[in-house]
Amino acid sequence: MADKLRHKAGMKGSQRQLATVIDLNKCMGCQSCTVACKNIWTQRPGTEHMRWANVATYPGRGYPRDWQSKGGGYDAQSNPAQGELINLVDAGDNLQFNHDAVFHEENGQSAHLQPTTSRGEKPQWGYNWDEDQASGSWPNAFFFYIPRKCNHCSNAPCIEACSRNAISKREDGIVLIDQDRCTGHRHCVEACPYKMVYFNPVTKRSEKCIECFPRVEQGIAPACNRQCVGRTRAYGYLDDEDNQVHKLVKRWKVALPLHPECGTEPNVFYVPPMSTRAYDESGRLTQEMRIPMEILESYFGPAVGDALNTLVEQRQRRKRGESSELMDILISRRWEDRFAQFTNEPV
Amino acid sequence: MRVQRHSYDSAVLADGRAPAWGAIKEQEITLIPAPLTRTAAVSPYLSRQTGHGRIHNLRARLAHDGTTLSIRLAWHDPDKDDELKDLDQFTDGVAVMFPLAPGASAMAMGAREAPINAWFWKADENEPFDVFAEGYATSHRRSGADSGLTATGYHDQEHWVVVLQRPLTNADDRLAGFRPGSPSAIAFAAWAGSNKERSGQKSVSGEFVHLTVDA
Ligand code: SF4
Ligand code: SF4
Repeated sequence: MADKLRHKAGMKGSQRQLATVIDLNKCMGCQSCTVACKNIWTQRPGTEHMRWANVATYPGRGYPRDWQSKGGGYDAQSNPAQGELINLVDAGDNLQFNHDAVFHEENGQSAHLQPTTSRGEKPQWGYNWDEDQASGSWPNAFFFYIPRKCNHCSNAPCIEACSRNAISKREDGIVLIDQDRCTGHRHCVEACPYKMVYFNPVTKRSEKCIECFPRVEQGIAPACNRQCVGRTRAYGYLDDEDNQVHKLVKRWKVALPLHPECGTEPNVFYVPPMSTRAYDESGRLTQEMRIPMEILESYFGPAVGDALNTLVEQRQRRKRGESSELMDILISRRWEDRFAQFTNEPV
Repeated sequence: MRVQRHSYDSAVLADGRAPAWGAIKEQEITLIPAPLTRTAAVSPYLSRQTGHGRIHNLRARLAHDGTTLSIRLAWHDPDKDDELKDLDQFTDGVAVMFPLAPGASAMAMGAREAPINAWFWKADENEPFDVFAEGYATSHRRSGADSGLTATGYHDQEHWVVVLQRPLTNADDRLAGFRPGSPSAIAFAAWAGSNKERSGQKSVSGEFVHLTVDA
């Protein structure tokens, strides 16, 4: 029993760190990543509402609903910041459609396809409810997609919050919840500022993205990364200088964590949206970005300006016919180049 | 605290409504919000929680017939939380705790080499759990069925009434055992689900108190 009492610091660190980069300039919000994950991991009883991998339109309320205003993580002095829980509706619920009535009972003309909530009510909110709702005002409306999953943080508050030491980080950096230790207290749900832990009310335990570890152990990239039709994603060890993840995060510094101010050192990195250019009052295209810099900084921190400058510079080079390692990486003509040693086939 | 000897069939006492319980003296236990500062090393998030401890006292009746220990606990809680209706909901619970070695601390859930055994009833579970711990974060649950621990509970609008029963003696040294005429010690805890109480967020009676077991 006593050997279970491990120190939190030891549980939070790892030898190496697996990381994902997602290029938001290429993400088209198709949800292939969401579906890939759901098909593999969250079709069990009690997991219907969970989207360990998810994509939402930002600025927006996001998924789970309003996650960015539910606290957690660490404050500016690195002290634990209390957070809130999410409910079933926040988590996207488990909407059911009247397929039988519409398709099989010969009522096609009178019955209309409509969803009901898990409580049998008309839904007021659901997964991706505010999809493609833009911010800004005409003609300078804007939005972008942010695909998310557990960040397998290097300073993970979920690990620190668990009063039963049920959460730990493996040597490859993957953060896992031991289902045999978890008793569903949900301190981790409160502490995760990304709200990427979900409660399973059937097993009465908390669950989250497991980074497809059984695939990763076989040299297969996680399903969300591998199934991405937009070729937006790179995967590999952060300290491996030869892979795209390292090059984009460490060398080119164009891939940034989401909400770095939460202090959790997340390991999903985003190439920020370069934004279309804005129109002026007379309707002429200007050199200004449509997405205000304050908004991008509020998501990706103060480094986003430099990252965007590098992206613009390198794009210019390419336009002039010069070579650009960065543009070559972001284009990735061969998908295998994106996933380092994780290119094995899943079947 | 005292465990009273009785001559009823313990099966009768399994029902908290049984008139036989009237013959067992009621003892009042004052509860306080569990102090959480000492949990900081285990969960700095938990240690900063406030607002727990909604249940202020328990009324306990303890009895044995030479083979079975029966504990009836009643407390005021108008919110009956016996079902997880949403992801942000918690259920009611109550527990009694016994030291397995001299010097074990109830407030610290035991310590290395000084473990504790608790009987834990949760309103949304069919069976109680045996809990073993040697300090915060080390606790293990085991189905009460393994040790013969049973529980029944009912809610009467304003109150929960729960009866926990287990054989006085057993072969497993990880289980609290009792001998008529020999003293023991006991502590109590309760959780109000509607107040999001769970884990260390609970009401407690404090350190172990002396428990006399009638010969
Ligand atoms: S994103 Fe949340 S759940 Fe994932 S490691 Fe970080 S704190 Fe834990
Ligand atoms: S699969 Fe790729 S392109 Fe589609 S939503 Fe996910 S990250 Fe974006």
